[in-house]
Amino acid sequence: MAKSKKIISKHLYYHLSRRNFIKGAAAGSVIVGAPAILKGLTRRAKAAEKGVVRMLFTAPTMIPGDWTRFEKDTGLKMEDTVIKDDPGIFLTEVQVNDAGDRFDMISTLSGTEQSLIDGGNILQMETSAMPNWSGMPASIQSMPYLVRDLSPSAGKVWGVPLAMNADSFGYLPKKLGEKRPPEEASWSLVFENEKTMGRSSTGDNYIYLWEALAYLKHTGQLAVKDILNPSPAEAKATADFLIKRKEAGQFRLFWKIFDDQVAVMKNGEVDAIRCWEPAVNEANKAGGDWVYATAKEFYLKWMHGIYITSQVEDRGNIDEVYTALNWFLSGGYASAITPLRGYLNGRPDLAVDYNNSNGLEDITTAMDAAQEKMALKFAKEDFWFSAVPENLQEMQAQMDRVLNA
Amino acid sequence: MTTNVYTYRKPAGLRDYLPRLPAGVWSLSGFSLLWFGGIVLPLLAIIVVSFLQGRGLNINFDPTFLQYERFFSYGGGEMLARSVRIAGTVTIVELLLAFPFALWLAKGCKNNTVKLLTFTALTVPFFLSPAARVIVWRSVFGINGAVNQVLLGTGIVDEPVLWLIFSEFAVHFGFIGAFFPTMVWPIFLSVSLIDNDFLEASGDLGASRLRTLLHIILPLALPGIVAGFVFTFIPMLGDAVVASHMGGNNVLMLAAQVQSLIGVSNFLVAAALAAVVLAIMLAFQVLLWFALKPVGGLAGVFASLRR
Repeated sequence: MAKSKKIISKHLYYHLSRRNFIKGAAAGSVIVGAPAILKGLTRRAKAAEKGVVRMLFTAPTMIPGDWTRFEKDTGLKMEDTVIKDDPGIFLTEVQVNDAGDRFDMISTLSGTEQSLIDGGNILQMETSAMPNWSGMPASIQSMPYLVRDLSPSAGKVWGVPLAMNADSFGYLPKKLGEKRPPEEASWSLVFENEKTMGRSSTGDNYIYLWEALAYLKHTGQLAVKDILNPSPAEAKATADFLIKRKEAGQFRLFWKIFDDQVAVMKNGEVDAIRCWEPAVNEANKAGGDWVYATAKEFYLKWMHGIYITSQVEDRGNIDEVYTALNWFLSGGYASAITPLRGYLNGRPDLAVDYNNSNGLEDITTAMDAAQEKMALKFAKEDFWFSAVPENLQEMQAQMDRVLNA
Repeated sequence: MTTNVYTYRKPAGLRDYLPRLPAGVWSLSGFSLLWFGGIVLPLLAIIVVSFLQGRGLNINFDPTFLQYERFFSYGGGEMLARSVRIAGTVTIVELLLAFPFALWLAKGCKNNTVKLLTFTALTVPFFLSPAARVIVWRSVFGINGAVNQVLLGTGIVDEPVLWLIFSEFAVHFGFIGAFFPTMVWPIFLSVSLIDNDFLEASGDLGASRLRTLLHIILPLALPGIVAGFVFTFIPMLGDAVVASHMGGNNVLMLAAQVQSLIGVSNFLVAAALAAVVLAIMLAFQVLLWFALKPVGGLAGVFASLRR
């Protein structure tokens, strides 16, 4: 032991001249600081790419086909990335993996705002930098998800709406002997119906447990105190109901992603399915006779918001980011996303002028129909969905119990 | 007169600052350090986290068994038992299918073109995404799939057979296809290494083909069988694609459960699950140790490769 210590000290003494020490220290600093240096270089490199904005999405259906119109209208280029819409995955990407280093804007289901604000991950919005903000209906401008009262100066805006919709389910009216929309159809087609026994489907996460809970509430099978924040006991009662239905053979599968929904609709595996509205369009492209239900009991209303990542402040491209945000509130995005997906953005009213001035008059009819349908959907009471309800983990755990049964 | 003698000294590098020890010691301790920092430390961290409380990314350092209670109260025990049962069953089926196939490929197949085509067929799946490998079975086993069409067309059944897809049967089937190469390759390699003289000598001494198989080939192929078991069983436990695509989430398995927990930032219960899986893996190690004891343990098994 003593011998080896002697060897080490002799060795160090022999080589540690002042110059060598400085060289070594510099090399060491480079190695230790490499991640930070690389990070800084990457940030600077990204800022140097003028005219490009990067955005993180959590749903592929929010992308308006391609970005040609965006590029034409704004003079910017868009680079998009899509990840899964689970709130945990999104928050991990933003808060642990520093998504702000790679993205100027992030978007996801509303309800995660408080976590993003608490984590210092997003910037407060300067609404005056977005000319299209001011004409938005007050009901959307003051959405509790997007606006937060965090200081004596109330009403700070942290996000802008990307798109919203009210979800129900798809079904085959002719095969099931059900009426077509705008006639109402019951959620029982998904949850408890002899006609769809073994041929219905819902999703595999807490959102779909939440819908089953809303169904039980509306059919008088469960007393629910606050539909916006189901209690653990209510979640458990709903899971018990779903387990009974699963054991009775109601569900063909519990889908995970959008492609699953489309695949089982196209392949004839199901006759009724809780799905995203665009899935019906996709299935019908393959010759299906699917309709999206005018729901009898309730709709799940949701909004995807867009937020500016805090790192934009250092990158110096805030003006470009606001230009992009203003486009998502424009007739350009409305005219692209509504006919394609059936979703509404914050300013669908601007679409008519946009279509007229861009030779897209034929789109206006499709947009009118979509807006009319949306008005019908939003007239139902329940319920604006939050991605992070108070008992999120308990709700998912109960859904896992259903899948495990 | 004095003469200044300048001798060239090689510029100092990082190695010059390190104590002079044999290269083997450096590489061994470097590897150990990497192994400890990259594998042992994260595993220990997972175990520690599984005994804490908190929500999302905020963790509170109060020791508790709460996460384990939660995990088991939501059907985690059944899920683990199901995962191990399915992975175990498929691994045994794979072994029964892969061993004769590998034996034929290594010793039986003399046609190089056939051999090459077989190698390609075994390799191609690795170039496809895991989802692409299994999704094709949906159109074969689906309600309007090829199998149901044949069954209905020939009058064997009156109604489509539903359990062909989105069932445990479908998950088993999906795994068999996806993990066949991982069992075949190691066995093929170990059988290929068996000297043909041994097999000929066995025959010359009057041993039947079965006796040669049981007493010569099997013991010498054991390294490949053990490796095939490890490369098939362990990744299957961590596979999230087959159970989801073929089982339609009617058959929840380990990886899907982890994804579900991470999806709602339930990192603590996910850590508890990981700790339980670690315990199961350790139990398997012990079982393997006992099972291989009669043939000299793991070292004894792989000693045959040194021949």
